[in-house]
Amino acid sequence: MIKYIKLLWNGLIPENPIFRLALSLCPAVAVTTSVANGLMLGLAVVFVQVFSSCTVAIFRSFIHPRIRIPAYVIVIALWVSVIDMILPVISPEVYDKVKLFVKLIVVFAIIISRLELFASKQPLVPSFFDGLGMGIGFLFGLCLIGAIRELSGAGQLFGYDVLGGVKPLLVMILPTGGFFVIGFIMATFNWLEYKITGKIPASGGGH
Amino acid sequence: MKEIFKITLSLTCVCFAAALILGAVYTQTDHKRKEQEEKTNRETIESLLGYGSGKKVPSDLRIFSVYRYVISTPNGKILLGYLLPLKDKGHVLAEIELSGEPGKVIPIKAKESELAEQASLDKIVNDALPKGSKATLAQTLYVANLGDKRLGYVVRGVTQGFKTFVKLMVSLDPKFTVTGIAITESEEDPGLGAEIQQHYFRNQFVGKTLDVLKNLKVVKEPLPPEYLKVLEPGKVKQAGMTPEQVQELRNKYLKADIYALTGATISSRAVTVGVKDAVRKFVYRMGILNDAVKQDNLQVAF
Repeated sequence: MIKYIKLLWNGLIPENPIFRLALSLCPAVAVTTSVANGLMLGLAVVFVQVFSSCTVAIFRSFIHPRIRIPAYVIVIALWVSVIDMILPVISPEVYDKVKLFVKLIVVFAIIISRLELFASKQPLVPSFFDGLGMGIGFLFGLCLIGAIRELSGAGQLFGYDVLGGVKPLLVMILPTGGFFVIGFIMATFNWLEYKITGKIPASGGGH
Repeated sequence: MKEIFKITLSLTCVCFAAALILGAVYTQTDHKRKEQEEKTNRETIESLLGYGSGKKVPSDLRIFSVYRYVISTPNGKILLGYLLPLKDKGHVLAEIELSGEPGKVIPIKAKESELAEQASLDKIVNDALPKGSKATLAQTLYVANLGDKRLGYVVRGVTQGFKTFVKLMVSLDPKFTVTGIAITESEEDPGLGAEIQQHYFRNQFVGKTLDVLKNLKVVKEPLPPEYLKVLEPGKVKQAGMTPEQVQELRNKYLKADIYALTGATISSRAVTVGVKDAVRKFVYRMGILNDAVKQDNLQVAF
């Protein structure tokens, strides 16, 4: 059990998709103008990531290594389409809010990279927890960025005025602000790692 | 060489399995989804006419659908066909030439339920036409009556947004003044272009008359705070303004241009162009249709 909790924790902080792996930064910048937006996209990603990870983990021995990338893309697209078709039937109200986000997910780097790095090599249960952890980590990252941007840019949280109508920094709502916030949080993560382990973090590439 | 076959076969299997699952899910959910769509469609129209969010729909509200078809005849001529509901139940397809001259009137026998679905509707219209002619649905218009009085119209419009098409609906009063717009389908970016869904953007169109609409532009200026107050229904309550104060502020901005959304000028412009376009064409078509109805002496239901 400890192993699985570790996998969840791993996705949340030590290998947070946005702040540590620096994956899927485009949606993280574009969508997080408010907490609510970040929450919706995060939830959608959690579902797609978990379903795709499980599917790939189950069928990993059948997928020929040389066509694995197209196969992963098909799996992700399949789950995105299925969610897109089933959700309006189950809960039209929720679908109304998340429909814009669901279709964006097919091309997210984080999902395909978890399939390639983890689910294609591990059995079902660890893959499930890795997918869940990564999804939650992504959700957490989006909500954190969204909260900072919404608070500083619009003076609101979840659409409610908390600063009495004051809008401190409009630039935070614009794409520029997204880069600032992600950069600062990333720096904080690196600084924390340096303080704790005493090592300077290796630089990584983003998508 | 052997491996290439293996790879091809493997990928084909993956695609086939995915296609099977998608097909199964689609057929299982299709009916429910269409029902849902129709329900949302009706609710959108009702809320555009002013009966949304808690306000009860009066029992004598009648919404008539008018379908506009484009008919191509075997000798290459293009005609317009309006499927109109008649007073004494039943429908006719009124042909109108592109020049505006009314043409033949073809009676259509169909049940109300058959008209609700587009596939069966297309079939009925095509069956009623002489052999070789082909009709395709171009637009659906809605005419709303309250009892015998004309309440207004709801028009659909399509415009090119930032990424894909933005589909919208515009409601007009009998004098063709905009009473509301709704975005029915769009894939604009959340947080930027998707803000076109917000009240403070959509409500900027309310009250624009035909003349104002003709020269309506999008300006890249910040929205005045006092104007914002009357655009958001929640803010009106919050500020505790009387209806007269709200009306006064609204009147002040009646001729104002549309204030672009921050970071989404293209989407703002797209919606504005879409609304202008939809209304302009609708007014033109309605004129022709009314003339044709008078000349043919049709007893239409609305």
